Amino acid sequence: MNILLATLAAPLATAGIGVIPGPRRPKEAAFVGGLAATFVLALATAGRFLAGETPLALGEALRVDGLSALVLVLTAFVGLLSGLYSVGYLERNERSGFVSARRRTELLALVPAYVAAMLLVAVSNNLAVLWIAVEATTLASVFLVAFHNRDTSLEAAWKFLVLGSVGLAFALLGTVLLFASGQGVLGEEMSALDWTRLLTHASGLHPFTVKLAVVFLLVGYATKAGLAPMHTWKPDAYREAPSPAGVLMAVGMLNCSLYAVLRVHIVSRAVLGPEFSGRLLLGLGLASVLVATPFILIQWNLKRLLAYSSVEHVGIMAIGFGLGGEAAVLGALLHMTYHTFAKPVAFFSAGTLAQLHRSSDFDAIGGGTLSRTPVASGLLLLATLMVTGSPPFGLFWSEMTILKAGFFGPHLAVVAVFLAALVLLFCGFFYQVGKLTLGPNTRPLDRPVLPERLDLAMGTTLVAAVVAAVSAFYLPHPLVALVRAAVRVVEGA
Amino acid sequence: MIQDFVILCAAGMLVSVYLMVGQKALVVAIRLYGVQSLLLGAVAIAMGFAERRPHLFVSAALTIVLKAAVIPWFLLRVIDRVGIRREIEPYVNVPASLLLCLGLTVVGYRVSLGMAGASQGVPHQVVGVALSMVLMGLFLMVTRRKALTQILALLTIENAVFLVAVGATAGMPLIVELGISFDVILAVLVLGVLVNRIVDRFESMDTSRLSNLRG
Repeated sequence: MNILLATLAAPLATAGIGVIPGPRRPKEAAFVGGLAATFVLALATAGRFLAGETPLALGEALRVDGLSALVLVLTAFVGLLSGLYSVGYLERNERSGFVSARRRTELLALVPAYVAAMLLVAVSNNLAVLWIAVEATTLASVFLVAFHNRDTSLEAAWKFLVLGSVGLAFALLGTVLLFASGQGVLGEEMSALDWTRLLTHASGLHPFTVKLAVVFLLVGYATKAGLAPMHTWKPDAYREAPSPAGVLMAVGMLNCSLYAVLRVHIVSRAVLGPEFSGRLLLGLGLASVLVATPFILIQWNLKRLLAYSSVEHVGIMAIGFGLGGEAAVLGALLHMTYHTFAKPVAFFSAGTLAQLHRSSDFDAIGGGTLSRTPVASGLLLLATLMVTGSPPFGLFWSEMTILKAGFFGPHLAVVAVFLAALVLLFCGFFYQVGKLTLGPNTRPLDRPVLPERLDLAMGTTLVAAVVAAVSAFYLPHPLVALVRAAVRVVEGA
Repeated sequence: MIQDFVILCAAGMLVSVYLMVGQKALVVAIRLYGVQSLLLGAVAIAMGFAERRPHLFVSAALTIVLKAAVIPWFLLRVIDRVGIRREIEPYVNVPASLLLCLGLTVVGYRVSLGMAGASQGVPHQVVGVALSMVLMGLFLMVTRRKALTQILALLTIENAVFLVAVGATAGMPLIVELGISFDVILAVLVLGVLVNRIVDRFESMDTSRLSNLRG
């Protein structure tokens, strides 16, 4: 069987098993096993690519090049982490009686389905397949946002779905327009929407139609990526989604929608030159970084804080891609990689804190968590160091790479504003987390905290933390090769 | 001849959106959406004859069955269950809305001029209509409060996209269209489920109540 199809089939089968009623333990084992198999298969697919092959499926509608392989591996990795944490999360919630058997089935089916849709995004070589896959991720995740069925979850799910659907309608219009721009050149088969074909026939496309298409496609997929000003669904959705789903949205979906944005960027560059979509990305990225700053400074909820941090990071990546040039793109792709390693630690430790305190609002948690839940708070502090881009962790180096490339480029003013915003964001995030973990203990004595214990969820957090810390000093050679290959794809060399 | 018919149908779709903006009864808005989809189906049939593409008939059938019948029926059922039949006073009143939409139509048409000569067969007017419909759909979405009107606005944008697909490209590949239609249906179902849950919880489908999350 085609290894690429196997990689996509594994999580889908896992989702199927999740729906079937059955005893709890074997189902959970199948769930984690399925996601682990998915990760192994994704590694194998990327290995095939590194060995010089180009894995294909369904004609050329699915194709793995450097960029696809990188996003595929990163997404499957987060899928596995999220799967492990999900089981621990359910166990904990059941101890406190929050989660029913039906909810467990929901989580065990939706998480792998979401992963499957994201992997399909990552390997798509066709605009239509890409659109269908992104829509599938939206539909798979909306019930994860509504998971707890509170008033606020419904509100968040509604905003998420309506805004996401508008974005997707825009992306669809862009897709149709791009198809229209190649009338008479590309033919009428489905392959007319393949990236590879669009690139080889770039000079034959109608430029104005492509321009219109690129605007709609970029805005559409940027909505899914949560770039400002289309980011407003993000804080609500992240607060309401259970942490294992939150991490899939914050890392997996972020990478995958950026993948879509990049594919559009690559076509746009081939037809219209680097300036057009590059400037759009630069503008969206800078807007995201600037929007995130004040909201981080005044934030009142831990998970919303993480959401704005995610708006910031996707902005940083967009700026890197928008600046263009080998160095900036390398920085942005490294940023994507390091962010994938660092963010789960933040989400998992924040999720643990929220579960033990039964809320993620700062007021309800109360300051000084380090004295009550030392392990989770310590991990959150470590994650804060990583996520804010403090040396020696990875995100520091990727941010430096982008900044350095920017200062040698033509967009000096943009980079200066970007740097200032970064400094403010760094201070703001530290202020919030510092107040929460190290500040005076303000939690009333009559509201006890659940005891911390080393369960599966905590174990997953520790593993994620070790991986993230090690990645700062040592990236495995094949991963570096993938990042380099992805740079070549984006730069069109 | 066929071209005139296509442009006439496209104009009819535009009129249906204006009527949607101009009135408040939800049942009428849903019926208008049905008529709009029917016109889209007519465009697809006409283009199928004009360009001799049999697969356009399939997509026309799909459009008429799903968007002119099944989706309106489903939405009417949602309204019946919920028992809410009228849009309350929108954020922008009706005369001002209509004037603003006129401006949006001009913008859409102006942008489409750049595409003159790009598409085969049908002139750029169809794209102009579609772009205006997209903008007006967005306008409806931000100024109306009922969840159901927002769904209709979304579906109107979707119809506009299909109008470009049929009018300006003589149809997307059939398999693509099938995949997209399937996703759209699923999205409508999910939206309907959410509306039901929201009504159960808030005893209203007024989305301005969904404002607990800020900052």
